Amino acid sequence: MPETIEIQLKKGVLGLCVLALLARADSYAYEIASRLSDAIDMGEGTIYPLMRRMQSDGLVETYLVESTAGPSRKYYCLTDTGRTALEVQTAEWAHFTQAVDAVLAAPASETLASTPANLQTGDVQ
Amino acid sequence: MTRADFLARLKKGLVGMPVASAAEILNDYEAHFDDGMAAGRSESDVASALGDPERLARELKAEAGVKRWRQEQTPSAAAGAVFAVLGLGAIDLIILLPILMGVIGTLFGCLIAVIALFVSGGAVMVAGPFSGFPGGGFAAFLGGLGLMALSVAFAALLAVVTKLLIDALVWFARLHYRLLKPALDPQSTTSNSGDPA
Repeated sequence: MPETIEIQLKKGVLGLCVLALLARADSYAYEIASRLSDAIDMGEGTIYPLMRRMQSDGLVETYLVESTAGPSRKYYCLTDTGRTALEVQTAEWAHFTQAVDAVLAAPASETLASTPANLQTGDVQ
Repeated sequence: MTRADFLARLKKGLVGMPVASAAEILNDYEAHFDDGMAAGRSESDVASALGDPERLARELKAEAGVKRWRQEQTPSAAAGAVFAVLGLGAIDLIILLPILMGVIGTLFGCLIAVIALFVSGGAVMVAGPFSGFPGGGFAAFLGGLGLMALSVAFAALLAVVTKLLIDALVWFARLHYRLLKPALDPQSTTSNSGDPA
């Protein structure tokens, strides 16, 4: 099922992207969703279950900011655990993509011989 | 789908969750509609980009169930987590159900055995000294006490195994659930942008 792999990949990467966005600046869900749905195409609604999950895993925290118009807005920021998770997952991601790129770029005859045995370690989340 | 439709379907899907959490979730989605419309998008555009409200509700509920199971290891929290996770459709029930039934049956059998051992230990301890137990009354008392202690040890072991099994099931389901799929479907049918380059 190729589409399943794509989904699993995106799902894993989505958490990493959210961590990376929040590392740059605190943000609110709508902004995160609209930036990520452009970058990797995904349903915007999935950001809310993801944010709640990351919150219950202790990766992010929320705080409210008074807004000039309408109700106050819920902002998300990284916790120390979240920062550590970002570092770990970024390293895993780099390792994983390098391994995949190496396989893709290798000439057909070498592919089997030079396949890195540690593809599995790039498992995000 | 209008904003009211989406929120009504989401709210319906969240029935069974603690009221405060459900209200918080609905607030999040309300704010999303507000932001989207402030950015000049139409209600139906925002709603369709959000995805299927029933699916979202199921995942939110499962997440809440898992969270509760982590906080309090009670039978009702366990049941909540297991059913919420099964509701995701992440685990193929047809394949899993016979195995699950077998496991639950075995655990239940063990539980009954442990209770029987405890009761019979109690009976030996209380009735043994008066019914000519071989080895004398004191031996009967100690033997009964030993059986009861053994059954308590087994019960503790059983509880640990049950907890591990539920944790494993929840972990497996979280890893495998296919929530993004329906949310992605509209986009992936129109633009096939998933090339591996």
